Amino acid sequence: MAMQTATAGRKARWALLDIIVVVYALVPVLWIASLSLKTKDTIADGNFIPREWTLQNYRDIFATTEFIRPLFNSIGIALIATFIAVVLGMMAAYAIARLDFPGKKLLVGVSLLIAMFPQISLVTPLFNIERQLGLFDTWPGLILPYITFALPLAIYTLSSFFREIPWELEKAAKMDGATPAQAFRRVIAPLAAPGVFTTAILVFILCWNDFLFAISLTSTEASRTVPAALSFFTGTSQFDDPTGTISAAAVVITIPIILFVLFFQRRIVAGLTSGAVKG
Amino acid sequence: MTAVVEAPPSPEPPSTRTRAQQRSAAWKRRAPLLPALLFTIAVTQVPFLVTVFYSFQSWNMVRPGSRHFVGFDNYVDVFTDSVFLSALGNTVTITVVCVLVAMLLGLGLALLLDRQFLGRGIVRTLLITPFLILPAAGALLWKTTMFDPTYGLLNWAFGIEVEWLSDYPLAAVMTQIVWQWTPFMMLLILAGLQAQSREVLEAAQVDGAGRWRTFVSITLPQLSRYLQLAVLLGAIYIVNSFDAIFLMTQGGPGTASTNLPYYIYQRAFEGFDVGQSSAMGVVVVAMTLIVATFALRLMFRAFDVSRGVK
Repeated sequence: MAMQTATAGRKARWALLDIIVVVYALVPVLWIASLSLKTKDTIADGNFIPREWTLQNYRDIFATTEFIRPLFNSIGIALIATFIAVVLGMMAAYAIARLDFPGKKLLVGVSLLIAMFPQISLVTPLFNIERQLGLFDTWPGLILPYITFALPLAIYTLSSFFREIPWELEKAAKMDGATPAQAFRRVIAPLAAPGVFTTAILVFILCWNDFLFAISLTSTEASRTVPAALSFFTGTSQFDDPTGTISAAAVVITIPIILFVLFFQRRIVAGLTSGAVKG
Repeated sequence: MTAVVEAPPSPEPPSTRTRAQQRSAAWKRRAPLLPALLFTIAVTQVPFLVTVFYSFQSWNMVRPGSRHFVGFDNYVDVFTDSVFLSALGNTVTITVVCVLVAMLLGLGLALLLDRQFLGRGIVRTLLITPFLILPAAGALLWKTTMFDPTYGLLNWAFGIEVEWLSDYPLAAVMTQIVWQWTPFMMLLILAGLQAQSREVLEAAQVDGAGRWRTFVSITLPQLSRYLQLAVLLGAIYIVNSFDAIFLMTQGGPGTASTNLPYYIYQRAFEGFDVGQSSAMGVVVVAMTLIVATFALRLMFRAFDVSRGVK
């Protein structure tokens, strides 16, 4: 009996702790959602639940190109950079995981070192070089640095996934009469796909999140991405308080990512920790 | 853990091949790695060499024709610039405090999530969310919805009126960075917790070790590699923090919350002083290289990149 109450007490303590943790994680998100739904007059009232509900903030951000155009730029630039980085990264990871050659460790070291290269010290020269080459404020002008900083991440996650693939199966398939192309398509590609997919998600998030390059290497809506555009958000007029619209924009760009994570959570966690889990 | 991948068969003994053949075979094996490597080197090292070149010049973009070679003058200026030194101090403070606090919080949350309970998946997703929110949006949200004196949740929750961003700028920025990075630490540490063997834990319990004892003598040593990794990766990114400072405080009030990336950006894009900002860039690269050497050594140990070489 005493034993039972002890475990019940412990359970209650853990439950309380869990609730605190959930509140900690959830409150800022709900607060943003609440602000985005408030009208301009009630936004400063401090009520957690809006007294007057409105979708005006959402209508505002989609009414001008101020938000839509950067959203389009962000998606396009991040997708192209992700595609190129993952393709180049797959080749490199294949070499690291499967082939043996002198100097391999050095090459891997160099690529990891680049991941740690402080981006800020590249921004000024990139700005000057891109202006000379006419790449400033264009999509390629952002895609090029994004690929560079995404590649080390892609190589690192892909090579740890590739090491887990049972490559003997390829040989077995060839022995059973499959052509090399068939062996690759039917046997290896399905095994490699989850790793490639996870890497693509991580690389996409990396490009999507960048702020430093986005703010220094763009100057107009032609290539400005969402993070940079957010810093120019002023509401409908210059004197308008942008809190409501910023909140609405934040909700719009955050909800897809939360849904995404709900669906692919296991994969993302696996991708982030794949290297470290191997003992 | 057994290696599933066998190293490819080693080449035939050297006597049967000429040296040239060997060399071309070796290059063929390196070939898939080359596009990625050449690309990254081109995009990072060419601009870096340009930075080094700029750093020896006095060049202000708003004064055309002012450009000339000045040797190490820029470097001397950098190290006697009190703002640079305070920015360096702020960078160190931000990095050390944020990494440690985020790691401790992450450890706590990871321990919490390492148990079975109802709704664990949902709680974990919610906890990861801050890491996935666009950092720029995260910074703006903290600025407008948490710290703002009128709309801020903090003042509302505690019933006080504090100008968080001008009274405690560095602490405010650090809070946002910790909020952003705690989930990352949590994920890495959780992976470490779930990798430990249940048998050893049970054996410890059978031998009469309490929870605390088990944690200190078994779990912590086993986690140390994951903790080191979390610290290093976190530090690499947090040293470069830029969004939070740019969007929340603009480095101010004055230079109270200016860190190195933000100061370099300011010198280059607001002061148009290419020479000075380049010299600072080179100094930052040199410092990063020192830290990165340690990081790389650890990563090679933790990830075992060279597996299959033997």
